Amino acid sequence: MRFLAPAAVWFAATIPVIVVFYLLKRRRVVLRVPSTVLWQRYLAETQASAPFQKLRRNALLLLQILLLLFAVFALVRPYVEGQQVPSSLRIMILDVSASMQSTDVVPSRFEAARGEVLRWVDGLKPGQRMVVLQSGSRTETRQSATSDKLALRRAIESCAVTDGPSRMGDALKMAESLVRDVPDAEIHLFSDGSVGGLDEFENRNLPLVYHRFGERANNVAITSLEVRANPENPLQRAVFASIANLSASPVSTLVELSFEGEPLDARPVQLPAHESGSVVFVVSQSRDGVFTLRHDAPDDLAVDNRASVFSELPAPVKVLLVTRGNRFLEKAIRAAGEVRLTVVPAVPEGSATWDFVVLDDVMPARWPEGNVLAIRSAATNWFQSTTVLRSPPIVDWKGTHPLLRFVNLDNVVVSEAIGVKAPAWGTVIADSPQGPLIIAGENGRQRVVWIGFDVLSSTWPLRVSFPMFIANAVSWLNPATVRAAQLNIRAGDPFRLELPQDAGAVAVRPPGSGWQSVTVGSSAREAVFGATDRQGVYGLKWRTNETAFVVRALDPIESDTAPRAEIKVGRYGAAAATTLRRGNLGLWRWGAAVALGLLMLEGWVYHRRTA
Amino acid sequence: MLRQLEQLELLARRHSRSGGRGGRRSKARGQSVEFADYRNYVAGDDLRHVDWNLFGRLDRFFVKLHEEDRELPVDVFLDASESMVFGAPAKFDLAVRLAAAMGYIALCGFDRVSVRVFPEGLGDVAEAGVRSALVGVRGRKSALDFLGNLARVRVGGGADFNESLRRVALRVKRAGSAVVLSDMLDPRGYEAGLEALVARGFQTHVVQILAPEELEPATFGDLRLMDSETGAEQEVTFGRYRLRAYRQVVEDYTQKLREFCRARGIRFFRTTSDTPPETLLLRELRRGGVLG
Repeated sequence: MRFLAPAAVWFAATIPVIVVFYLLKRRRVVLRVPSTVLWQRYLAETQASAPFQKLRRNALLLLQILLLLFAVFALVRPYVEGQQVPSSLRIMILDVSASMQSTDVVPSRFEAARGEVLRWVDGLKPGQRMVVLQSGSRTETRQSATSDKLALRRAIESCAVTDGPSRMGDALKMAESLVRDVPDAEIHLFSDGSVGGLDEFENRNLPLVYHRFGERANNVAITSLEVRANPENPLQRAVFASIANLSASPVSTLVELSFEGEPLDARPVQLPAHESGSVVFVVSQSRDGVFTLRHDAPDDLAVDNRASVFSELPAPVKVLLVTRGNRFLEKAIRAAGEVRLTVVPAVPEGSATWDFVVLDDVMPARWPEGNVLAIRSAATNWFQSTTVLRSPPIVDWKGTHPLLRFVNLDNVVVSEAIGVKAPAWGTVIADSPQGPLIIAGENGRQRVVWIGFDVLSSTWPLRVSFPMFIANAVSWLNPATVRAAQLNIRAGDPFRLELPQDAGAVAVRPPGSGWQSVTVGSSAREAVFGATDRQGVYGLKWRTNETAFVVRALDPIESDTAPRAEIKVGRYGAAAATTLRRGNLGLWRWGAAVALGLLMLEGWVYHRRTA
Repeated sequence: MLRQLEQLELLARRHSRSGGRGGRRSKARGQSVEFADYRNYVAGDDLRHVDWNLFGRLDRFFVKLHEEDRELPVDVFLDASESMVFGAPAKFDLAVRLAAAMGYIALCGFDRVSVRVFPEGLGDVAEAGVRSALVGVRGRKSALDFLGNLARVRVGGGADFNESLRRVALRVKRAGSAVVLSDMLDPRGYEAGLEALVARGFQTHVVQILAPEELEPATFGDLRLMDSETGAEQEVTFGRYRLRAYRQVVEDYTQKLREFCRARGIRFFRTTSDTPPETLLLRELRRGGVLG
C-alpha cells in the first residue's frame, strides 16, 4: 500500500488533543442530594481520582481516537498499486449500444462497465490524463483530456445506455486521432464485443485494450419487422417478422401482433438453439398506424423483445410516363403492382400531382420536381460532359441495391449509351468499362434513377430482368416508400421530416415523456429530431396534424449478445479481452466510510450515557 | 382528626415496665381492680387486703394481690438532619406530623411521650429549650404545649443516626415504645443505632420516609452530586437508561433494611413524603399493628 498524501499523517497529532480534552473536567450540573448513599453504585464508576484512571474503559474516548485514525487514513489517500504500465493519456471508450443493456451481469453490462471505468478514474495518478468517449450510434466526447477526477467522474456518470447499434469504428477513429502524437497513450474499450463498423478500419498498431463485459448469450430477438402489401390479396397487409434464438438452448415462445395497442393475432414459435425463423401475419388495415410485435420468452436483453413498424394505408402509385412511344416500358410499369399510369408525349405543367415521372428519351423544357426515372435523359447540371459509348458491355452491377433485387443483367446487350462521369450524389449500380450505365441516388430531396441508354436499342426489354427492374424502380421511387423509411428509423439515427412552407411549430413526444418542441429554421423545409436513442413510438405534431414515427432497435449484431473474446479491427487486427488490472485501487473511501460509521456509533454511545 | 386520634392508642406487645402509674397493664402488683394472685399473709400486711372468705374456709390468712396499671413510655426519634428538608412536600414535614399524631395518641392514653430530635447540639439556646420541653411530656393537658413545641423544631446539620439512638438508649430509665422517623440514609449506617434500641428493650417501630424525587430522579446527564449533610461533591454520569437500575438500587436498600428489622422484631414501614399522614396513621400503621 502506498499513499498519495503522506503529509496528512500530521493530522494524527490531534489525538493527544482529544486525550487532553478528556483529562479536563467536563462541565457538570450541580445537584444537591439528601444523601449519596443511593448513588454509591454510580459514584464507583467515575470516582477514580487519578487523572489517567479516568481514561480507563472510556468507550467514547476509544471511539473518538479510532474515528480520528480512520479519518487520517482516508486523508493520506492510501492506494494499492496496480500492475498496468504507466500511461500519460488513456482514452476510455464506453460502449452504450443496446446489447450493453443485457442483464447477465447484475445490474447490467453497461453499469458494470461504467463502474469499472470509474475505478480506473480512482486509480489515476497525478500527471495522467483521461478522455471519456461514449460510443453508440454516434460517438460523443463526454470529457476531453483532463486529470480532474471530479470532471471525469461526472462525465462517466452522465453517460447513458441507448437502444441504438454500436458504430465503434467512429469512436476508434476519434481515439486514434487523439493518441497519434502521444507515444505511451492507451485506448481502453469497455464493451461486450457486439460492435459493428470495424471492417473498414485499418490500424494494426492501435494501443487498444479491450475490457470485456458479459457472461453468456441468452437472448431471443425480433431481428426484422416489415409490412408489405399481401401479394395474394391487395386489400390485405402482410407483416413479415424474423425471430432469432441466440441462446444455447431451444426456446418456445408466443409471438403477439397488435395494431395501435389492439391485439390482432398470436402465434406460438419454437426455435432450436442458434436458429432463426420467420412469422408472417396477414391482417387487414383500415387506417394509418403502428404494428407492434412482441414475444414473451424470458431473456437477458429486453430491448429486442418488441418491435414496431409504422404503416400507412397502401395507395395506388401515380406515374407520369413521358414518351414518344414505348410499349415495353408502359407494360412493365402497369405490371408493377397498383399503378395509375398516365402516358403523355411531353411534360405538362404541374407535375407535382404525380408520385414520380418517367422520362423516356425526352428532354423536358422544365425539369419535374418529384422523383424521376430518366432514360437517356438528364438535367443540365448532372454531368460535366457527355460522350457516346458504342456497344458498352455490362460488366458489373450491384445486386445488393434495392433497384437490382432479383435482377440479372448477364444477357443484356446495349448498342449505344451516353458516356458520363458519375456525379457525387449518385451511385453507379450498373457499370461498363467505359463508364456508368445506370446511376441511382438522391439529388437533394429528389430520388433519381438514370439509365444511360435507350432501352429500345438494347435487348433488355426482352429479358425477364426488365419488368423486375421496373417493379423495383416503381417501389423505390414511390414517395410512400421514402416516407415509410423516414417514419421507421433505427435507434440513434436522426428523424427528418420534410415540411410544407408554413408548417409552424413542430413537437415530438418520445415514449414515456412529454412533448418537446423541435426548432425549425424559418427558411428550412425540414425538421430534424436527433434524440432517438430509445426505441418505441414517438408522437409527432405540427399545425393540426398529429401522427407518429417509430424508432426501432432491430439490429442482428446488437441482438447477438454472446460476449466476444476478441474484437476484430479491420481485416487483420484483433484485440483480445484483457485481464489487466486497473491501476491504483484507491482506499480512502473505505477509511472515510468506517470513520463515518464510528462517528454514528460514538453519537449513539454518548446519547446512551447521558440521555 | 384529633377526635379520630383520640380513639386510637399505641399497642404494646409487652407489659409496661415503667415506674409511673398509667393506663397500661404491668407485671407490678398494685391498686387496680384486676385480681392477680394470692400470697401468704406476713406480719405487717394491710388487713384490708386479707381475703376473709378464704380465711373462713381454710382458716388461714391469704392476701389478695391486684395488678397495677402503669404508663407506657413512648420515645419518638425524629430525624431533623439536613437531608430531611428534601422533597416536595419535605420529608421532615411528614415526620413532624407523624410525631405529633403519635405523641397526641400517647398523651391521650396517659402515656409518657418523649420526642428525641437528632442531631443534637445545634448550639442554639432557644432550640435546646424547645427540644428539652419535648422530653417526658405527660397528660392530655400538655398536648397543646407539646404540639406547639414540636412545630418550633428546626432542621439542620448532619445526623449521626447510630450515635443519637445509642445515646438515648443508654440514657432512658425505662424502655417502652420507640418510633424512629427518618429517611435512614445515613452513610454510616443504621444498624448499630437500631440494635442499641432493641438491646435496651425498646419495642421499636421504624418509619422510613423518602421523597418521591429519591425514588424517581428527574435530572439526568453529567452531574456533580453534593451531599446535603456532609457537603461532599461527587461526579456521576446518570442517563435515563439507568433509571431502572437506580430503582433497583433503592429497592435493594429498602429490602436490606426491612430484613434487618424483621430479624430483630422491629416493625418497618416505608412511605413517601407526599403520602397524607391520615392515610398512614389510620390505615398503614393500624394495619401494621402499631396503633389500635
